[in-house]
Amino acid sequence: MIKVESAIATLVKNNVEFVIVGGIAITAHGSAYITKDLDFCYLRSKENLKNIVSALASFKPRPRGFPENLPYIFDETTLQNATNFTFETELGDIDLLGEVAGIGNFVEVEASSILMDLFDYKVKVLSIEGLILAKRAAGRPKDLLVLPELEAMQESLKNQDAE
Amino acid sequence: MTKLNPKVEEWLLNPPPGSKAAAAKEFGIDLTLLIGTLRMTPTERLKSLQVSMESLEEFARQAQIWREKNHDKSRIRNRNLS
Repeated sequence: MIKVESAIATLVKNNVEFVIVGGIAITAHGSAYITKDLDFCYLRSKENLKNIVSALASFKPRPRGFPENLPYIFDETTLQNATNFTFETELGDIDLLGEVAGIGNFVEVEASSILMDLFDYKVKVLSIEGLILAKRAAGRPKDLLVLPELEAMQESLKNQDAE
Repeated sequence: MTKLNPKVEEWLLNPPPGSKAAAAKEFGIDLTLLIGTLRMTPTERLKSLQVSMESLEEFARQAQIWREKNHDKSRIRNRNLS
């Protein structure tokens, strides 16, 4: 189970360039959907990888399912060598995505994001439109299940904006 | 808690035929739950999610304890029967 506020706080305080995507984003927009992890898309610049390491290293990230008896080094080199990561940490499960299916890399995901006030922070969150694109592209049964609610939310917000 | 536009609330409570909200209701989405969360601020929604996650985790823990106890009882019962 993810400690949502602490996870967001450490990313913001360490100046990580990130956009929240996935279940936490869906909940932040208003869905009653329940998730257990935090997924975020991140900028793959050297500085940002360094900031991610500063933000998360103290929470001992390890790939989920990685043998417990094997050592794992979480540093900038590790992050440079792949794009997407699924970590278990002392804050809970955190997925780092260099790109999001249906949208693209960080720059494109950021362009599809909105700024939200979450706890005491301004945080970029993938828009409902972006979430619909991502969920359609992912296409797994669990992704498709949330589409009707997301589309109803999108429609109701359009009605609100039209007022 | 924020105020949800009454027309949006009405739209979700009585979705017009052919709308996405009607499709979601038909699909099985409880739109009254959606109205409840749309009334909250994003932070309130995430705090509520955290409480739900903690409750579910505790429920799963208690269910595991119950299964282990039940499993032990059925083993003793089976031993007595044989």
